[in-house]
Amino acid sequence: MTKTAALLLAGGLALSACASDEDGGDGGGSGGGSEGTLKVGVAYDTGGRGDKSFNDSAIAGVEAAVQALGGDVDEDIEELSPNEDDSNREELLTQLAENDFNPVIAVGFAYGDIIADIAADYPDTQFAIVDTSVEDLGVDNLTGLIFAEEEGSFLAGVAAASKSVTGHLGFVGGQQSPLIEKFEAGYVAGAKAVKPDIIVDVTYLSPAGDGSGFGDPEGGKVAAQGMYQAGADIVFHAAGGSGEGVFEAAVEAGQRAIGVDSDQYLSASPDQQAVIMTSMLKRVDLAVEEYLNSFADDSLESGTDILNDLSTEGVGLSESGGYIDDIQDVIADFRQQIIDGDVEVPTTP
Amino acid sequence: MAEGPAGAHAAAAGTGDAPYAVELRGITKRFPGVVANRDIELRVRRGEVHAIVGENGAGKSTLMKTLYGMHRPDEGTILLDGRETTLRSPADAIAAGIGMVHQHFMLADNFTVLENVVLGSEPTRGGRLDRAEARRRIREISQRYALNLDPDVLVEELGVGDRQRVEIAKVLYRGATTLILDEPTAVLVPQEVDELFGNLAELTREGLTVIFISHKLDEVRKVADSITVIRRGTTVGSADPRTTTARQLAEMMVGSELPSPQTRTSTVRETPVLELRGVTVASLGGRPAVDDVSLTVREGEVVGIAGVEGNGQAELVDAIMGLRPAEGVVVLGGEDISGWSTRARREAGVGFVPEDRHRQGMLLEAPLWENRILGHQTRPPAVKGPFIDRTAARADTERIMRDYDVRAPGPDTLAVALSGGNQQKLIVGREMSAAPRLLIAAHPTRGVDVGAQSAIWELLKDARAEGMGILLISADLDELIGLSDTLQVMLRGRLVATLDPSSLTPEELGGHMTGASDGAVGAL
Amino acid sequence: MTALRRLGSALFAPAIAVVFAVVITALVILLIGENPTTALRVLFDFGDSPAQQTQAIVVILNRAVPLFLAGLAVSVAFRMGLFNIGVEGQYRMATVLAAGAGAAVALPAPLHILLVIVVAMAVGALWAAIVAILKVTRGVSEVISSIMLNFIALGTASWLLTGPLRGSEEGAAIITTKDLPESGQFPGLNGLFDVIGLAQPRGELYGFLIVAVLVGIAISVLLKRTRFGFDLRATGLSPSAATASGIDARAMVVKTMLISGAIAGLIGLPDLMGRTHHFGTEFTAGLGFLGIAVALLGRNSPLGIAFAALLFAFLDRAAVPLQFADIPASVVTIIQGTIVLAVVIANEIARQITRRRAEGDSGQAGPPAPESPPGGPAGTAGSRIDEPQGAQS
Repeated sequence: MTKTAALLLAGGLALSACASDEDGGDGGGSGGGSEGTLKVGVAYDTGGRGDKSFNDSAIAGVEAAVQALGGDVDEDIEELSPNEDDSNREELLTQLAENDFNPVIAVGFAYGDIIADIAADYPDTQFAIVDTSVEDLGVDNLTGLIFAEEEGSFLAGVAAASKSVTGHLGFVGGQQSPLIEKFEAGYVAGAKAVKPDIIVDVTYLSPAGDGSGFGDPEGGKVAAQGMYQAGADIVFHAAGGSGEGVFEAAVEAGQRAIGVDSDQYLSASPDQQAVIMTSMLKRVDLAVEEYLNSFADDSLESGTDILNDLSTEGVGLSESGGYIDDIQDVIADFRQQIIDGDVEVPTTP
Repeated sequence: MAEGPAGAHAAAAGTGDAPYAVELRGITKRFPGVVANRDIELRVRRGEVHAIVGENGAGKSTLMKTLYGMHRPDEGTILLDGRETTLRSPADAIAAGIGMVHQHFMLADNFTVLENVVLGSEPTRGGRLDRAEARRRIREISQRYALNLDPDVLVEELGVGDRQRVEIAKVLYRGATTLILDEPTAVLVPQEVDELFGNLAELTREGLTVIFISHKLDEVRKVADSITVIRRGTTVGSADPRTTTARQLAEMMVGSELPSPQTRTSTVRETPVLELRGVTVASLGGRPAVDDVSLTVREGEVVGIAGVEGNGQAELVDAIMGLRPAEGVVVLGGEDISGWSTRARREAGVGFVPEDRHRQGMLLEAPLWENRILGHQTRPPAVKGPFIDRTAARADTERIMRDYDVRAPGPDTLAVALSGGNQQKLIVGREMSAAPRLLIAAHPTRGVDVGAQSAIWELLKDARAEGMGILLISADLDELIGLSDTLQVMLRGRLVATLDPSSLTPEELGGHMTGASDGAVGAL
Repeated sequence: MTALRRLGSALFAPAIAVVFAVVITALVILLIGENPTTALRVLFDFGDSPAQQTQAIVVILNRAVPLFLAGLAVSVAFRMGLFNIGVEGQYRMATVLAAGAGAAVALPAPLHILLVIVVAMAVGALWAAIVAILKVTRGVSEVISSIMLNFIALGTASWLLTGPLRGSEEGAAIITTKDLPESGQFPGLNGLFDVIGLAQPRGELYGFLIVAVLVGIAISVLLKRTRFGFDLRATGLSPSAATASGIDARAMVVKTMLISGAIAGLIGLPDLMGRTHHFGTEFTAGLGFLGIAVALLGRNSPLGIAFAALLFAFLDRAAVPLQFADIPASVVTIIQGTIVLAVVIANEIARQITRRRAEGDSGQAGPPAPESPPGGPAGTAGSRIDEPQGAQS
């Protein structure tokens, strides 16, 4: 018993010893940025850079801001991805803060339960988190970049209901989490606002706590196929990478689908472009860029949330392909009603 | 048939000062902790069949591996045709004209004879296998040594004897002039053995030399021109097969007078140890594997179960040990144990020497001291309460190794490292250590060498004299007749005859076993 | 054989495997145009300040604790030839229910901690027992049933979290159970750093480390020194020989799976009791599968698994600093993958070498495994019914 404990202890000491032997520490931040320019740290959500979605959108905003402010995209941005089981999120944020990156942007609500503590530990660093409200946390150097997904989804529902011939729609969610339920709630409300008796099939690919639903095109395809066979003619997905399967099912069924987050028409193959009616835009890039700009010109009011909704064009519908050109007036009408507060969009189904 | 030409040859080649085809001088091979071969002296004349005999574990295989270049000796020299030679690998040995026919065939079933023979030394023409040339050479070899091989037959269609000839052809194809055959008859039926001996005669007539490893002394005497005996790693002498009896050879191998299984006076007492009443074991579909078997084993009595294998003996043993569900009643020392677990039965005093020691008797990858514990997990000395007493287990293993002559470096040796005989002695010693009332001994000397066989017989006899009841299941008729006080014959799951071994020949017993003298009940 | 030599041969295979993995990884790093020596330096660079260095040690140890428990859970079953793939589901169920139970009661600290641990172990054991019972009564392969149960665990845990055990507000992005009260949280070990004179790290060293060490010792003693452990290992080495020796194989399956499941139940507790204090959607999943790799690397021995877990954790720590050095963090995964693969191969080679050496030890160099076929090398005096030619002369 004492032997094992001693071994563990000795191992720890040996490790710390080699650590102290190292003098350089130049594995740390490159620190190339000149005084005054931004040094932005980005901690990605699962999947990291190249996910053609959320993370890519965020980094696009960071790069745009850094470039606009005269910084160097390679030198002044440090991007970190979590490991496969997401167990080192805390390390990502603390390492960025320790290496003097400021501000530090956490992409995704998964950072929500740890970022407040870390921000409190590094009061001189500004933190931002996408998709999480921080208003109730009472941390001064933390900003929440949140979106009114339900508002954009409401418009998607309006468009779908207006275009539907069968009076039957579908919704495929990635994971059954409160965030994705906002999409569902808005979508269903929008559809019913146009046609009160419309049917909306709702499926989630994975239960709460299991992120696999965002990376399961096969599951997405099966779910959408079921909906099309049951009579649905338009399916909206909020399922990340699984959306690819929804589009495939739409192509096979000769029906339509609605994309999410970015304008998915632009990155789709020609046969999928024929079925992607519109996409519910969630402009993470704009939100991040705005945040960085206000940080740079010292106009940032941290400790609170920045809400991106229809009024700020943080959410909306894409028009590529021209499939919804004929109903633009209907959509514009609802948009205005929402902005004016005449229509209350629910956030839970 | 083998005697004539081979004998004549031996006389022709043995005269004069012609160098030996193979000569080993003072070969010593050590492995960590043990000397496998010590001062081996071997002289093989060209054109003779030279047998090397010895018990399992005596060092024959080590010696042959030395000669085939699979490892290098620590001391001593190898002379081939009078020239000192160093063999670094089997390839060296093959180049020097030495070929090895392994006991376990190394043939690809779905290849033809031709493909198997040329595998690894394919004649090529322009990068392609030259089948015509290969076929021609194989036919030539086949004809010359009367191997009777068709090069284009698939190996999977061949019988065991044919496969062995393919192995021989393979070696000859590579130009071997000295062939080592490792236990070649172990896998053959008698007729095939005779054919093999015919082939060997052809080989020696053509001037080739054969080294024949065996411990079947009758065969050795039949085929060999000269014999070298190995005991405990060293050569203890040579013998002339024409003037030496099998018994003398066996005594050379064991190094002492050979015991016989014959028991002394009867020690049977009145008290029954084991009673079976109507024991029946169902089998999958059809006739029960064991059908209404009733028998009694008394203290100091050996009850032998004779029978051709597969007539329910294994199932009967399982039923007694509680390893298989059975109907009927099993009574041990007056107590009905029919519903007891195997462990409870063992604890109640049943010792078990299983038929297949690798499957049921040992943990091959575990050290000997752990094997000492196996089956005795709940009993001292190896166990103290819920804990294993390693010190005591090791000590008791050393005792068993001493008392039962288990040859191994120590209690930490893995069981797999022991020869079959030594494994079996360890099992018998282990089972005896718990002083059981009843010993189930299933084929206790199967696959063990002469020395171990006689040792095990002695142990059984001693145990019987001390009052242990023994149920002996065996296929060795001499063993059955020699050891048993009562013989039961088992046929198709039933006990069909009770015989008195004192007035029984193996031939008579064989008749009962095959049902030829069905219904006959021996005088008891 | 001296103890030193045995230790040497035990370490030989993993050492070769690690070297092999490092070489492969270096090639991969070269291939993507980065400098392998930079990566190596990053692996051993624990930071500049003493606090950073102790923090690195904390990160490693905190990661190693659940990995060790996962490896241990897998190895116990593996020792008797059972492949418990269900560790994943077992610890998920255990963690969610332990979190729920722990949050629902108020007890004095030691009792509260004990309750959480006992609930977790019991749930893990019960979840594993389903696998065992299906195997012994219906002959269902434990691999199949435990994979299925992993899915069921995923769904059930999710239902429990979003339904009866939900503690977070409606609409919160992360759904969690209620937090464990202070009395149910496992105190950290940071006092230790003061004792041995190291700087205080930013994070807290899991107090659960002590539990893990104790469990490791207990399992080690159980396997090596007890009758039960002997029965378990014997069954793993040869089920037929174990049965013949009186071991009830079916009971052993149940008991072993119960132990394996109980240990699996602990995997989620270091995080639960030391950091998050609740089960939630951000629960660290996948440790059950990593445990298989750790157990393989540690050759199923508790001490080996401890080293394997530390090695994995040591590599995992580098995932962040590697990215600072512009080397993808997946390098870590590549190293881990190649190590495990190499270890499997090296183990097999080492096993053959020891076996061959063991055969050499007693001078019995021939392959002993295929025993003589019936009527094979028999004694001279034998006249067997299946060997009629062997009559006495």
